[in-house]
Amino acid sequence: MQQPFVFMMGQYEAQMPADRMYSKRHLWLQSCGPQIYRVGFTAYSVRLLQDVYFLEWSVDEGAVVRDRQEIGEVESAKAVSSMFPPSAGTILRFNPSLLRDPSGINADNYGSGWLYEFRPDGEPLTAEQYLEHLRTAWEDAQRTIKGQMNEG
Amino acid sequence: MSASATNTLTVVISQAQGRNPAKRRLEDDLAQALLAEPGISVTLVPHLYDMSQNHSGLQFVREVRGELLVLGWLYERAIRWTLDRAGVRGRLAETLLRTADETADEDDEDGDDSDHDDRQPGGIGSVDVPDRALWCIDFRASDKCEDFVTEIRRIRDAGQQVDVAGFDLLSWIGGNPSADQLQRYLQPERLLDARRNSDGGAASLEDRALLPEDTGRRWYPVIDYSRCTNCMECIDFCLFGVYGVDALDRILVEQQDNCKKGCPACSRVCPANAIIFPHHKTAAIAGADGEVSGLKIDLTKLFGGDEGESAIEMAVKERDRELILDGRDAVGMSVGVRQRHREQMDQLLADLDALQF
Repeated sequence: MQQPFVFMMGQYEAQMPADRMYSKRHLWLQSCGPQIYRVGFTAYSVRLLQDVYFLEWSVDEGAVVRDRQEIGEVESAKAVSSMFPPSAGTILRFNPSLLRDPSGINADNYGSGWLYEFRPDGEPLTAEQYLEHLRTAWEDAQRTIKGQMNEG
Repeated sequence: MSASATNTLTVVISQAQGRNPAKRRLEDDLAQALLAEPGISVTLVPHLYDMSQNHSGLQFVREVRGELLVLGWLYERAIRWTLDRAGVRGRLAETLLRTADETADEDDEDGDDSDHDDRQPGGIGSVDVPDRALWCIDFRASDKCEDFVTEIRRIRDAGQQVDVAGFDLLSWIGGNPSADQLQRYLQPERLLDARRNSDGGAASLEDRALLPEDTGRRWYPVIDYSRCTNCMECIDFCLFGVYGVDALDRILVEQQDNCKKGCPACSRVCPANAIIFPHHKTAAIAGADGEVSGLKIDLTKLFGGDEGESAIEMAVKERDRELILDGRDAVGMSVGVRQRHREQMDQLLADLDALQF
């Protein structure tokens, strides 16, 4: 198996397995059928979220969603976020085990902690493309932090 | 109730909106428990944010003398500045029961902190703050009634020996035309009964007469003057006439009901993050403490993609939507948007540093 890609968030090594596709929304997509992908949070997302204790979907299985459409909410001890699909497409099925206990996201984000099955309208990013995207995203985030700290 | 000169702590429970049974129960249990506590006067008023300025509940709270503790289903900052707006002020006192994971640990070494000032650099602060302590507690800090009782006892027991009655009923009777309206708040047992009966669909005429005036849900900005620098960006940005200035040229929310329900745009453009919409879903806009301990970071922007909107872009869009709904023309960035000298990513992202990578 190919080594996972690694993205350094400060001291933290965020691993991105090479066996799947990605989205700029910090989600991974792994093929599990013709044009069907399992979707989950990348290590980058999970690191930002930390321990998830609440997960709620605001659309139903089978929903056709737009890019940037809000599809649910996630909350952890440190953070809250609305959730968005990887791209426009169709949400086929939610991971039933997470509906009972969302901590599976932290326990195994690249495996049994998948979020839902999805049929994207477009083509997801490769791991390399996602990594490239992370470099800019992470720098932006840090620059903003510094800028605002100086102001304060 | 006479104006006996004891050290009374007045506890005001600001009720939740709606009739969520769990919230009702907590309010009920706490009020019931405090009724039996010496040195404490407890009462219930409708949701703080929803009461109009001449609502009997707010009038009552204004009449409270001496130490005051207000509990509500809002962040402490939102409670504090909603009260400030209503003219209810005091030296903000520390509570150990906070929404945050950690309690604030700044101890006052100097003991007599008669000037407890939480003003931020540049913040213009409140005015006419009387010398009495004010505690604001978010009901969401715990779901256990005992936690609140314990904290309120602690506060009572640590109380300064102020020789002031909880409230001065005599002064109302002597001249205040709405004294009758306020009497109800001095009968917490009856209020609780009336509320239970009303919730159970069995309110008597007497119960109905006793319960305070109904409040509708409202939406308007609340200014945190400990942060506000009087920069006037909000008044320039809002095109609905919500803001004005007072005789001292301080910014104020002048026409609160001109505000557009659901629109938090002025809060987004405020460079000091001083404008609170207590019911907005984003914690920082709803008045969560800007301090790292209490704030949940909103990562929505990250998960919505990097080319997402900046706060100012969101504000402009929100404002345009309301203008169009009003039958006016959208103005985009052309009105009331100042050149900002800072990055425009969601300011909440700044709190990413709390994660200590």
